[in-house]
Amino acid sequence: MEGDRIEEVRLVHSPVDEISHLALDIGGSLIKMVYFSTSREQPIDKTQINASRDSHAVSRSSKDGHLLNGRLYFLKFETSKINECLDFISSKQLHYRGLQHCGFPASDKNIIKATGGGAFKFADLFKEKLGISLDKVEEMSSLVSGANFLLKAVPSEAFTYVNGQRNYVQIDHNDLYPYLLVNIGSGVSMIKVDGDGKYERVSGTSVGGGTFWGLGKLLTKCKSFDDLLEMSHQGNNRVIDMLVGDIYGGMDYLKIGLSSTAIASSFGKAVSENRELEEYRPEDVARSLLRMISNNIGQIAYLNALRFGLKKIFFGGFFIRGHAYTMDTISVAVDFWSKGEAKAMFLRHEGFLGALGAFMNYQLVEEFPDTIHLAGEKNRNPLVGDLNDNGVIECCVQARPAVED
Amino acid sequence: MDGLRKDQSLVGATDNINEETNNITQKVISEGGEETMVPPVGNSIHRSSSRPQLDLSGAAIQGNFEERDPTILLPNQSDDISHLALDIGGSLIKLVYFSRHEDRVVNDKRKKSAKERFGVSNGNIRRTFPILGGRLHFVKFETAKINECLEFIHSKQLHRGDNDNAVIKATGGGAYKFADLFKEKLGVSIEKEDEMDCLVAGANFLLKAIRHEAFTHKEGHKEFVQIDHNDLYPYLLVNIGSGVSMIKVDGDGKFQRVSGTNVGGGTYWGLGRLLTKCKSFDELLELSQRGDNSSIDMLVGDIYGGLDYSKIGLSASTIASSFGKAISENKEIEDYRPEDISLSLLRMISYNIGQISYLTALQLGIKRIFFGGFFIRGHAYTMDTISFAIQFWSKGGAQAMFLRHEGFLGALGAFMSYEKHGLDDLMVHQLVERFPMGAPYTGGKIHGPPLGDLNEKISWMEKFVRKGIKITAPVPTASPRTTGLGGFEAPSSKGDTLRCDESNLNVGVLHLVPSLEVFPLLADPKTYEPNTIDLADPNELEYWFTVLSEHLPDLVDKAVASEGGTDDARRRGDAFARAFSAHLARLMEEPAAYGKLSLANLLELREECLREFNFFDAYSTIKHRENEASLAVLPDLLMELDGMSEETRLLTLIEGVLAANIFDWGSRACVDLYHKGTIIEIYRMSRKKMQRPWRVDDFDAFKERMGFGDKKHQRHKRALLFVDNSGADVVLGMLPLARELLRRGTEVVLVANSLPALNDVTAMELPEIVAEAAKHCDILRGAAEAGGLLMDAMINIQDSPREKSSSTPLMVVENGCGSPCIDLRQVSSELAAAAKDADLVILEGMGRALHTNYNARFKCDALKLAMVKNQRLAEKLIKGNIYDCVCRYEPAN
Repeated sequence: MEGDRIEEVRLVHSPVDEISHLALDIGGSLIKMVYFSTSREQPIDKTQINASRDSHAVSRSSKDGHLLNGRLYFLKFETSKINECLDFISSKQLHYRGLQHCGFPASDKNIIKATGGGAFKFADLFKEKLGISLDKVEEMSSLVSGANFLLKAVPSEAFTYVNGQRNYVQIDHNDLYPYLLVNIGSGVSMIKVDGDGKYERVSGTSVGGGTFWGLGKLLTKCKSFDDLLEMSHQGNNRVIDMLVGDIYGGMDYLKIGLSSTAIASSFGKAVSENRELEEYRPEDVARSLLRMISNNIGQIAYLNALRFGLKKIFFGGFFIRGHAYTMDTISVAVDFWSKGEAKAMFLRHEGFLGALGAFMNYQLVEEFPDTIHLAGEKNRNPLVGDLNDNGVIECCVQARPAVED
Repeated sequence: MDGLRKDQSLVGATDNINEETNNITQKVISEGGEETMVPPVGNSIHRSSSRPQLDLSGAAIQGNFEERDPTILLPNQSDDISHLALDIGGSLIKLVYFSRHEDRVVNDKRKKSAKERFGVSNGNIRRTFPILGGRLHFVKFETAKINECLEFIHSKQLHRGDNDNAVIKATGGGAYKFADLFKEKLGVSIEKEDEMDCLVAGANFLLKAIRHEAFTHKEGHKEFVQIDHNDLYPYLLVNIGSGVSMIKVDGDGKFQRVSGTNVGGGTYWGLGRLLTKCKSFDELLELSQRGDNSSIDMLVGDIYGGLDYSKIGLSASTIASSFGKAISENKEIEDYRPEDISLSLLRMISYNIGQISYLTALQLGIKRIFFGGFFIRGHAYTMDTISFAIQFWSKGGAQAMFLRHEGFLGALGAFMSYEKHGLDDLMVHQLVERFPMGAPYTGGKIHGPPLGDLNEKISWMEKFVRKGIKITAPVPTASPRTTGLGGFEAPSSKGDTLRCDESNLNVGVLHLVPSLEVFPLLADPKTYEPNTIDLADPNELEYWFTVLSEHLPDLVDKAVASEGGTDDARRRGDAFARAFSAHLARLMEEPAAYGKLSLANLLELREECLREFNFFDAYSTIKHRENEASLAVLPDLLMELDGMSEETRLLTLIEGVLAANIFDWGSRACVDLYHKGTIIEIYRMSRKKMQRPWRVDDFDAFKERMGFGDKKHQRHKRALLFVDNSGADVVLGMLPLARELLRRGTEVVLVANSLPALNDVTAMELPEIVAEAAKHCDILRGAAEAGGLLMDAMINIQDSPREKSSSTPLMVVENGCGSPCIDLRQVSSELAAAAKDADLVILEGMGRALHTNYNARFKCDALKLAMVKNQRLAEKLIKGNIYDCVCRYEPAN
């Protein structure tokens, strides 16, 4: 996602003056970026081609101003390589342009909406390098408004993942709340959402994406998160996890109806064998790790949903990345613990909730979905690909002054 | 996708992690929840109510008769009465066995007479068979050294049954693995018990039978929690083995595994081993103690640039992402300190377990969560982390609790699974825990040699003292062998690693004393707390440790002298001093090591330690001498008293009790006094100084109650006089007061220690003292005769068919303890029986009236009399000075 993805981004040869309203979510591991552009050029990426295919821009007027057709672009950088992000912003001169060239009234061109812990940590860096101030948007609030936006405005945003099948879920806007939003970033936040701007962080866990990547890196010497995920796909966790069958000699523990392939203790076999780390296949290690963390998140999420009587659990955050096995494990964990009563749901834009939320903070749009029109909305096939990585949403936004409050 | 589905179920396992091989065959329980939960067979235990008694015929003491704790063999007992149960885990074998109390054959006529008089039953009447008094021992062996365990069992003949088909109950994975070995070496069959059944049975027993079994652990500080037995259920038992099982317990044999997680001890060890190359679980745990997780965990402060994220209640040091920092830095695994990795891992797993436990408890509406399993091992940081998680997520509404005997839940449960063990009828007041040197302890490795007899124990301690190695007590070893059979292979490395983990708690020997009862006159036994001073205050603790340490050389001298000052006595005395110092050092280091620490325990520990080194009555010579001297002047004193008016006499008698209480070898200040004059001189001088008002002075109220006021009062029917020291204290103080009560028609029961403690008078010694006093006093003679004392003490007097005296009786009962203090929750059955008709309790002396019971409330009138011979206590308790007096009278409500 590093170099190559940046490549993709560079393919967006948008004229400088067509890019505006940049928002950032600077997390512990990744920087997520969302910006709006009226550019018609499309990134050359099959996913995104899918995403924006057949898009049609609608222009109409409103009492507050005119509407602009455009696209929301989604980009990611590694936080440790923040300079790449700074360079990108600088090269696009996103920060200088504000909105004036897009027909928006002039606004403070030196302010970028940002959320995530890095909005605090790197505020000085942005000021120093780019001369811009980060207008900090509270993290949870960003996540929630990003999720609310997506769930209400983007058709086929949510889906369940069962037996390798995605089933898109039609969300009834009138019956959306309350729901549990599980944002799996470096750590995991669990937020009970009761409405627009009404939410509470009810739980969380430090065992999240950062743990998967961090431990995975130590254990497998893998160079990237995606490689690690890819490896896990080819692994077999039975090599290293202690399974029920290992304990009961391959037999199921029938007394309590337990399959012999159930995990009794993650990494439990590493205890009983005199094998060194090097003697385990990295694929198997990655698989065990992924299952351990996904299971655990699924379990804690379910317990919290149960606690507040929430029927819907949406999982987001960069950890998932549309990775089939991850989603499958989380789904099974929720299904298992809820005895089939609860379903895990995932979001196509899962990685960008915070950045989108920060973007929403510009208050370009008041009452989506009425004022925002998205690619694929009407009579369009459900979007096929993922928008987990860099991508676009075609939309139009209302051109009205940014409100200062 | 089918294959993917298959291995999806999440499971936590309960088992002991195994260090070496794939041998672990432990139990895993379903996550299935209620619908799929099949009630385990045998959960509803219906035990036969007609239990056979032990057949004692042909019983013989096996081995050397001179040993302190000979194993009593019961060759004719039915084979279904077993003494031993095992929990064979992957790394440790836990063994629980029962041994009968050594029956000291003492021709104690007083006891017999007291039993007859008060109709004392043996323990609980509703029981259909008598519980045997005895000891429950908790021992650990390393599984790798299973032969030591087998030899231990053999040497103690713990496996012996009537026939060759003896069966030992066992749980844990090794119960299968080693079944053949047990058959071959010992000829016994292992009967495997369901692990979860055992855990629950063990936990239920401990929580009900041991007063301070459960404790909380916050920031390194342990606090014991008293569990109300009637409000124990439901609770959540979280057993952290390789995986984690969460069990909802609703009652005896009623439980259900409700949840669990596959992230448990096996994950810690497995991942830890891969990441650090540690060779053992304990090594990994040890590493974590020196770790700093901030080098590898991503903290909130790392993300927020050192700022808190206070809006959602996260401080800068909160872990945002476990191992999250390993992402953003280009470091290899070798670049991280293993210590830091171990700590990060430990925090991650402990925290996660705490969180899931809390959520599960919340879901089920359960308030109490107890944690157990090998993962904890008394490790302070683990407990802190789990506690923190529970506290954090519940916003202080819930607490994590841990169990002192947590390592022995399974073995204890297996013991309980025998048809006849009698344990489930035991009440908390019938158990006393002792901590002899060599008692095993929970957690960690077993170090040092298994100590055999006393001589071996002494030599071993001498050796280490010579080597200059600090001994922390109790010296962690296997339990003493007693029979000389088998014999142990002495480990070549006689443990240079003597220190056990500071956070580990010691597990003592549990003495089952069915004859102990709760003192029936306590106003509210539930809220009764014997100790007046709270040793949780570190200053207080330090003060008492200093006092006891300073007193130690004098005590050793006395003890050695009491045994004739022989070389052997000197050697034992030195060993005692070392042992007791080691106990003190251990307690200074970890005050909660032996359970909830109180002054009463501490003083009793000293007495027990003396007895352990065969000093049964260190002050016998002094006591004898002072009794004689006091008895010699008693007639003069009685004559003086008889010359007074009743009203004056009452005051003089109380003054006398207070004055005579100055004779106390337990008080440093008083020992110095002894050089200043004869007993009667000191007594008279002391009494003369008894100027009222005393510091605490309810004498007028007492006098009024005794009939010297306007109101008419019924005389007391029976008074219980808890006496203190030998010599002047009892002879010139309490005896004249007893005599006065007798004269007024109140029955008097003198309550004295069952076993010696310092110079305190014992119930065994009192009849002789009374008999001697009775020679010069008709009142005492009549009363003693009526109370059956005289015949016991004065052997020359035959059971003459004299008419029963019509005098008011004077009686003696033992209090059931061997300590200078008294915990009225655990008194002898004869005292409890004597108390039934009593309407006045008089507690005398610092130990019983001030250090303990100063705040005790009784159902009847109570008088507490003592001279304060300790400046600190005087300031603290009565805001007074040394030698101030307390006369606290509290009428019945």
